Amino acid sequence: MTRSGLRAWVAASCAVACGLAGAADLVINVRDASGAPVADAAIYAEPLTGAAPAPRANLRAQIDQVQKEFVPRVSIVQVGTSIHFPNSDNIRHSIYSFSPAKTFTTKLYSGREAPPVVFDRSGIVVLGCNIHDTMVAWLVIVDTPWFAKSGPDGVGTLKNLPTGNYRITATAPAANLAARSLDVAVDGAATQRRTVELAPGS
Amino acid sequence: MRRLQSRIILFFVALLALVQVAAFVFVNSANSSNARAKLEEELNVGQRVFARQLEQNAEKLKLSARVLAADFAFREAIATHDTGTIESVLANHGARIGANAMVFVDLDGTVLSDTLRPQSESRPFEYPALITMNRSGASASMEVLDGRAFQLVGVPVLAPVPIGWVVMGFAVDDALARDLRQLTELEVTFALDDARGWHVLASTLEPATQRTLLGMMPGHTDEISRRVLNLAGEDHQALVIPLGDNGSARIVAVLHRSLEHALAAFERLRNTLIVLALASLALSIIGSVMIARNITRPLETLATAAARIEQGDYVEPVSLRRTDEIGVLASSLNHMRGGIADREKRILKLAYEDPLTGLANRSRFSNDLELALARAIEQATPGERRLTILMMDLDRFKYVNDTLGHGVGDHVLREVAGRLQKTVDGADCVARLGGDEFAILVMHDTDAAADAESTDIGRRIIASLESPILYEGQPLDVGTSIGIAHFPEHGRDAQTLVRNADIAMYAAKRNKTGLATYDPHYDTNQQEHLSLLGELRRAVDRDELKLYYQPKVSLSSAHVNAVEALIRWEHPTRGLVPPVQFIPFAEHTGYIKLLTRWVIREAVRQCGEWLRDGLTLQVSVNISARDLMNRELPDLVAELLAEHDVTPGLLCLEITESGFMEDPAHAQKVLDRLAELGVKLSIDDYGTGYSSLSYIMKLPVQELKIDQSFISRMATNPEISTIVRSTIDLGHNLGLQVVAEGVEDVAVWNMLRSLGCDDAQGYFMSRPLNARALTEWIRGNAGTIPGLTPTSEIAAEAAASVMRVTGPG
Repeated sequence: MTRSGLRAWVAASCAVACGLAGAADLVINVRDASGAPVADAAIYAEPLTGAAPAPRANLRAQIDQVQKEFVPRVSIVQVGTSIHFPNSDNIRHSIYSFSPAKTFTTKLYSGREAPPVVFDRSGIVVLGCNIHDTMVAWLVIVDTPWFAKSGPDGVGTLKNLPTGNYRITATAPAANLAARSLDVAVDGAATQRRTVELAPGS
Repeated sequence: MRRLQSRIILFFVALLALVQVAAFVFVNSANSSNARAKLEEELNVGQRVFARQLEQNAEKLKLSARVLAADFAFREAIATHDTGTIESVLANHGARIGANAMVFVDLDGTVLSDTLRPQSESRPFEYPALITMNRSGASASMEVLDGRAFQLVGVPVLAPVPIGWVVMGFAVDDALARDLRQLTELEVTFALDDARGWHVLASTLEPATQRTLLGMMPGHTDEISRRVLNLAGEDHQALVIPLGDNGSARIVAVLHRSLEHALAAFERLRNTLIVLALASLALSIIGSVMIARNITRPLETLATAAARIEQGDYVEPVSLRRTDEIGVLASSLNHMRGGIADREKRILKLAYEDPLTGLANRSRFSNDLELALARAIEQATPGERRLTILMMDLDRFKYVNDTLGHGVGDHVLREVAGRLQKTVDGADCVARLGGDEFAILVMHDTDAAADAESTDIGRRIIASLESPILYEGQPLDVGTSIGIAHFPEHGRDAQTLVRNADIAMYAAKRNKTGLATYDPHYDTNQQEHLSLLGELRRAVDRDELKLYYQPKVSLSSAHVNAVEALIRWEHPTRGLVPPVQFIPFAEHTGYIKLLTRWVIREAVRQCGEWLRDGLTLQVSVNISARDLMNRELPDLVAELLAEHDVTPGLLCLEITESGFMEDPAHAQKVLDRLAELGVKLSIDDYGTGYSSLSYIMKLPVQELKIDQSFISRMATNPEISTIVRSTIDLGHNLGLQVVAEGVEDVAVWNMLRSLGCDDAQGYFMSRPLNARALTEWIRGNAGTIPGLTPTSEIAAEAAASVMRVTGPG
């Protein structure tokens, strides 16, 4: 699956949920300390009251390896998502993670030989290739269905947030910027805009 | 010579020495600066190599560290955060790459594990500079840990983002120092300056040298410093390189190299140069000495040869067989030597030899005489006669020369010289002094032999000239007179001897003896004569000369028809000077010509005066042989006769036999011309010469005067009386008038008259009288002299003071 393909898929599922109750979109503009837009930032919303809805079964995602790079470099998934690591290169890779949220390693493989990995804890997982030190990918595992990734303009949209109060968090591990949160009250269908400024840190 | 040689040597040696020294100084300085530059360069290179090596070491360590940090198991162990595991991994993997220390630092800079200090409290990492790099970086630095130096390398542990740093330390030890020395060729010492002061961390030096080095460590500096260290007695060029400074401790590396060692090659080169310079200097000295000798030795030879020539040694030629300029010079010198020798020979010949006769000349004679005198003075006892000189000249030579020409004269001289040489073979020197004058030098062995030997030589010379000299078949009769002077009897020096021999010679000539030994008496006369001769020159002008006249009386009639003019010199101080004292010398000097001229003039004048007084007297004048050579005499006589209006027949010229015998042909011509004039000619002193009447017959003479030596003795000597008578007869037979001279008494007068002699002259009739007295005497006796008897007093007086004018010889 391509990157745009994944995004379309996520958007479609949101649209279904939003359609069920009154909801509004939240547009988050992520900036760094100098005001420049921060791309590939993970943005997610956690309800301040009540638990987030349980994740749906069979959540799946894919992180490809193309020309000794992980594609996409930054992914956001909900807890419990099973991720495939297809190898599109004609060389073999061996993916590992020493991150506490999920520690794993695969054998050297090519094509689709590697079994999918289920990420069942929230947190940030840094993926590397045991063979190719320059390959790195970030996987942000969130315990909420409302999440988005900022585009090159630093803007990401959390769609169909039901009315309520949310803690909005933005983090950009690939840019080595620390996570930052802010609380937003969603009321009605009005789209709100917020800007989050991230400071360096991890 | 020596100076030239020294100068050549000095020049070449100085030049070469200068060049050598300059070359040496230049090369040495170039070498020296080269060597220093090279050393400097070596140090610089060493320093760069050192720095580069440390860097490469660090890079190698970094690489090793990175490889280690990338090891999955290592990372996995680290990621576990299990301290025990981490420590064992560090120790294990550190051992793999030979690290001496392994430290793990987590992302917040806390030391989680340290193999040097296991089990220690966690602490902030002391060298944060090593762990601030990004995930791909690595850094290295030299640090001190527990008093030891380490090269620390920090690399991040990537999983795949940094999860911490592993810092590996590699001890700075002697092995490293040795490695570095091998690469840099410099001694390497790592030193630490901390609270304990300087101490060595690692070194290639001996411990003792290390201590020395520590004593020289510099103060604090951040920059590479350069200095000269004296280690173990050797100067070292050193670089002090600060490697790390954490405030409390600093590490420096000291790189150095022995100057002596580095300069050793240069020293060897310099020594070689010195040896070369000295060797070439020595060679150049030898070479220039050889060149100088090559030039100066032949020059010395030439100088020696020139000195030999200077001393008159022309025998040995210069022997220099060379083809160069000196050879040419030697050859020229040889030619010059030959030329000088030839010319000297010729000059000597010219200087000391009479070219005409080949005899010694005057100079040679003088030299020989001086030498002989010196020898005689040296060898003989005082007063001993050991040396004689004979002076000789030829009678009538001048006449031969003047009348027959110099060719004949030269022939005569050569002939005489030849005869002289034959005759006086043993004499020391036979010389021609000039003209017809010869000199002979004779040495005697004893005083007793002097007289006999010299006289004998003189006689033999005279004898050798008795036979006539033939010239083109014609005989020439040459007589000679020789004067002898002995040393020291007649003179102690050459000049006196020669003069006295000369005087003796004149005496011999005067006395017709042919040979005379010097007598002091001659000298007195001679002196007086010479003096008189001088005064005679003025006598004519001063009117001191007078003519006296002696009458010729006819024996048959007792009439006085003629007088003979006789010269008298009334000297203002000497009184009456006898003619014998000045006439011979006047003849010898040629002054007789003027004297004769004066006499003829005076006689003709007086004759003319008498004529005007009515007294007709024929006047006789004596003329010399020299006058007969005078071609102008007839013209002079004609002129005088005309001047005084005297008929030629009143002048009678009396000539002696010898007068015309010297050159009969010439005399004949003059006499013929005189006869043509009408002048009467008379043969004077007949009987003293050797001329025959047959010869006289050819002469245009009209009168014969019998010499008084016959007349004076005829009264007592019958034989002479007979000669006189036959002479008178012969004269008459030849048509000549015969006159007797020296009639002193009546007996002779009578005898002559009986013999038929025409005229008589003598004291019996009258002594010579001056013109006035004669005039009175004639007038008093009325032209005749019967009964006149001259007193004996008068005769004696006259004989002492009057001499007839006569010819030479």
